[in-house]
Amino acid sequence: MLDVGRHPNIDLLAYSEIEKVEGEEGNFKVTVRRKARYVEEDKCTGCGACKEKCPTVVPDAFNEGMGERKAIYSWFAQGIPSTHTIDPNYCRQLQGKKCGVCAKTCQAGAVNFEQKDRVVELTVGAIIVAAGYDVFDPSRIPEYRYDKLANVVTAIEFERLLSASGPTGGHLDRPSDRAIEAEIEALEKKAGKSQKVIAKFEEQFGQASADFYSSFQKGEYKDDEERNKWAEKYKEHLEIVEPLEAMKKKAEGFTAAKRLAFIQCVGSRDFRFYPFCSGYCCMHSIKEAIIAHEHGPETTSTIFGMDIRAIGKGFEEYKIRGGNHSNITYVRGRVAEIQAGPDNNPVVIYEDTKERMVKSEEFDMVILATACAPTKGIYELADKLGIELDAYDFVKTSPLSPVDTSRPGIFVCGCAGAPMDVPESVAQASSAAERAAEIAFYGDARKEKAVA
Amino acid sequence: MSKDILVIGGGIAGIQSSLDLADMGVKVHLVEKLPSIGGKMAQLDKTFPTNDCAI
Amino acid sequence: MPNKEENIRIGVFVCHCGSNIAGYLNMEELGAYAETLPHVAFVKRNLYTCSEGGINEIKKAIKEQNLNRVVVASCTPRTHEPLFRSSCAEAGLNPYLFEMVNIRDQCSWVHMQQRDDGTAKAKDLIRMGVAKSALLEPQQPIISDVTLRALVMGAGIAGMTSALALANRGYEVVLVEREERLGGMLNVINKLGPSMADAASFAEEKIKAVQSHKNITVFTKARVTEAQGFIGKYKVDIETESGVKKIDIGVIIVATGGRLLVPEGLYNYDGKKVITQLEAETLLKQGLDKGINNVVMIQCAGGRTKEKPYCSRICCQTAVKNAIMIKEQNPASKVSILYRDMQMYGVENEELFRDSRAKGIRYIKYDPEDPPQVKDGSVQVFHSLLGLKMDLAADLVVLSTPIVSQEGAEATSQLLRVPIDDNGFFLEGHVKLRPLDFATDGVFLAGSARFPANIREAVAQGLGAASRASIPLSKGSVVVEPIISILANEDACRGCGLCVALCPYGALEIRKTEKGRKVHVIDVACKGCGVCASTCYQHALSVNSFTDDQINAQINAFLE
Repeated sequence: MLDVGRHPNIDLLAYSEIEKVEGEEGNFKVTVRRKARYVEEDKCTGCGACKEKCPTVVPDAFNEGMGERKAIYSWFAQGIPSTHTIDPNYCRQLQGKKCGVCAKTCQAGAVNFEQKDRVVELTVGAIIVAAGYDVFDPSRIPEYRYDKLANVVTAIEFERLLSASGPTGGHLDRPSDRAIEAEIEALEKKAGKSQKVIAKFEEQFGQASADFYSSFQKGEYKDDEERNKWAEKYKEHLEIVEPLEAMKKKAEGFTAAKRLAFIQCVGSRDFRFYPFCSGYCCMHSIKEAIIAHEHGPETTSTIFGMDIRAIGKGFEEYKIRGGNHSNITYVRGRVAEIQAGPDNNPVVIYEDTKERMVKSEEFDMVILATACAPTKGIYELADKLGIELDAYDFVKTSPLSPVDTSRPGIFVCGCAGAPMDVPESVAQASSAAERAAEIAFYGDARKEKAVA
Repeated sequence: MSKDILVIGGGIAGIQSSLDLADMGVKVHLVEKLPSIGGKMAQLDKTFPTNDCAI
Repeated sequence: MPNKEENIRIGVFVCHCGSNIAGYLNMEELGAYAETLPHVAFVKRNLYTCSEGGINEIKKAIKEQNLNRVVVASCTPRTHEPLFRSSCAEAGLNPYLFEMVNIRDQCSWVHMQQRDDGTAKAKDLIRMGVAKSALLEPQQPIISDVTLRALVMGAGIAGMTSALALANRGYEVVLVEREERLGGMLNVINKLGPSMADAASFAEEKIKAVQSHKNITVFTKARVTEAQGFIGKYKVDIETESGVKKIDIGVIIVATGGRLLVPEGLYNYDGKKVITQLEAETLLKQGLDKGINNVVMIQCAGGRTKEKPYCSRICCQTAVKNAIMIKEQNPASKVSILYRDMQMYGVENEELFRDSRAKGIRYIKYDPEDPPQVKDGSVQVFHSLLGLKMDLAADLVVLSTPIVSQEGAEATSQLLRVPIDDNGFFLEGHVKLRPLDFATDGVFLAGSARFPANIREAVAQGLGAASRASIPLSKGSVVVEPIISILANEDACRGCGLCVALCPYGALEIRKTEKGRKVHVIDVACKGCGVCASTCYQHALSVNSFTDDQINAQINAFLE
């Protein structure tokens, strides 16, 4: 990634979109819209001082909305380019309010609220489509209750929870527990404020609030206006503190998630959504289970799947190692439903097809191995490029020329063509580079010289 | 005739295509929709089957 | 010790990184401290040393202050060392007279709450960096020419694809095939899944293209017997029927394929009524005997066992494809596939799988603890999902045996000094990120020699390996950072070869010299990892810019 940023032959146009493509192999005219970052790329050093001071907190898309970032942000800490970006949907200044704190903080003078989108024209000999994929939205499967049960997460969300750079610093805190902790934090702030208010009364009257309140409830001081206020404020305070204490007590019992369920083929191998197999999810779940076990050796994982497709180099061995050393149990069966259980524990209802029995089991967390879905923008992009898509909206290729699209001079690699894992994507990326290089190095002469 | 290449998408596939071509001496324009390249792989904590870091 | 004749003048640039460093460390103190260090002639604090302004300050100071060493105390060399090095070069200073000190990651980031301790640590690091920099020596990048000719070993679909791609790019290709005919497995296979294209005609088309290409020299019934040298400059011996050819080669692609396990002693294998999928391909090509009405296929025959723990990836799709072909030739036939997991990964395979079910192919999951029993004319199997023992009539039993590593893979691995894995397949540079490279520069990998691959994957890898191999060819030369191992003390070297055995990049060899056996560093192959230098008990080897003297100076400076 780093090499891309500093390679003299790579013109990196991040935060940009393809607008228009004209021409043909050897001579495509491409219009690219460079979206305004409101930060000048050549001045921003990526130091991050601006985001320290920015007052606007925004859900962090890189962390799948589980963490927070600021309205001025870098996509992720090691991102290339490291140039920061202002999110115009949240930025106070760009929303017409008074702010500009980032501009004042930036010692490089990189913030520019007047920046506009720019349109650049490129002339290229060939195009490689590496547009990737989207994570299937599991809320489309109502029986899995992804949007209702806090502790049912997608594999990529779980990835962020496992990551030291993620929202929990790599601790396997359950989303439901994190929500309660966030509530505690908010209530503590509120309690602090109300504590200050009643402390003033206590000083004024030289009496502890609790003592005063018990006499007040017995009917004393009814005519004292000030003391009535005190009673009112104290009552409000109790209404904050009492549930807060209860929550705190509950939170004392919070531990990292230890009993994990992984559900395979969520949205894939499913006629309602995508009938294909996404190829990498079995291994992804096994890896997450192994890493979770590294985080906490008492962690146990159950992987529910039809076939466990460990089809790459070293994969089957990895699967077996997971079973032997990382407390992974593989259950053959398709999960029918996920229900709400006690303590925010999801309950998995499934058929164990080997024992031919319907069973249910309670877990701390359930991780959904979601399908590799065609990326949303691909339809529009394919239209602009004039290339065909297959029945599922992946870019169409043929097995004997695996990176050639339906249009000469345009090639595809990675998950834009079909679901695949990293080494296959990398191998295909080199294949697409080879096909493109044939055009770059030979251009029109190629048609005579090339054979097959 | 242009000898430049356009790569659309800055995930692992787009990065690898770009690097191969750039190393061959070809000028590459790499267009990414998001503020930084890295794609899905940058979101991964570690990768199977070696448990190496993803970034 | 610094060269006495040289007047060492070190410039130290301390970066604030906005507030990223300056917010947590006492920068004034760091600047003042740097001025007190030996040989330091100039100190400057910058808001951002990496900004255009900061870079200009470095260049200006090199010229105006006659600096001959530069130290930047800022962020990580991972991102910024190349920039600072090239800035030094632009100002006329050898770029290897530059040293970087990381006071961001190691001080301001990890000691955010400990300003004084963090500042003290930054002083230590700067002192160490300055001490080392005084001993730095200029280095010149190493440039070596590349012979514009590729050797492709193996003329299966992966090898032919690589050869054609490189030849179409205008490079000379030498294609070496052990068999008489090009095409490898394609010569045996009936149809190519999932498109059911005819394998023979596809092979024919490719073979013709290869043979008629003016840039490709084909040697059949030949093998590579010697490969001396390194990236760009290999001297290769090819043993052919008409004698040994000696050819200069720049890059090598290993596409030697795999072979199907012959299941001797398994499931009553006899090659007639109990056959392999490859033998089934031949039967299907000829047209299936009319008397065959009941076919049972057994997956993972000899695969996913203790001895061969890996899943061979493509046997399930081969079985499904052949089952469909049997159904096509004899629609009345019954075909059952006994499996453990149906590995029909991806879009096309899963489609084929569904299609086969619609055509009436029966799938029965068996338990490896209780494997099927092949009898004369039938197969007994415990259907683990129904919990039933079943007796299936079988006129033909087809065993899906795994692809195993190619005969001679080990010899090839020794010849090219590239590793193979536990299962005998060639081991790539990185299983995730460098699937088609070896750790050794100049040697590349494609197809089933790496791991079982279907036609789509083999073609993709063939093209991909060509892309990777074409990089040094298109440059015409290899430029290597001079931070590499050197034989600093030739007399001390006893030629024991310990370092040669440990070098992960094949960059060392023992040569006979007038003084006896001595190690020789192949400079363009060396990555400067330092394994050899740290292993050499004679301290004969050293790494440029990380010499014993330089590292000792850092340690001594720390202990001051």
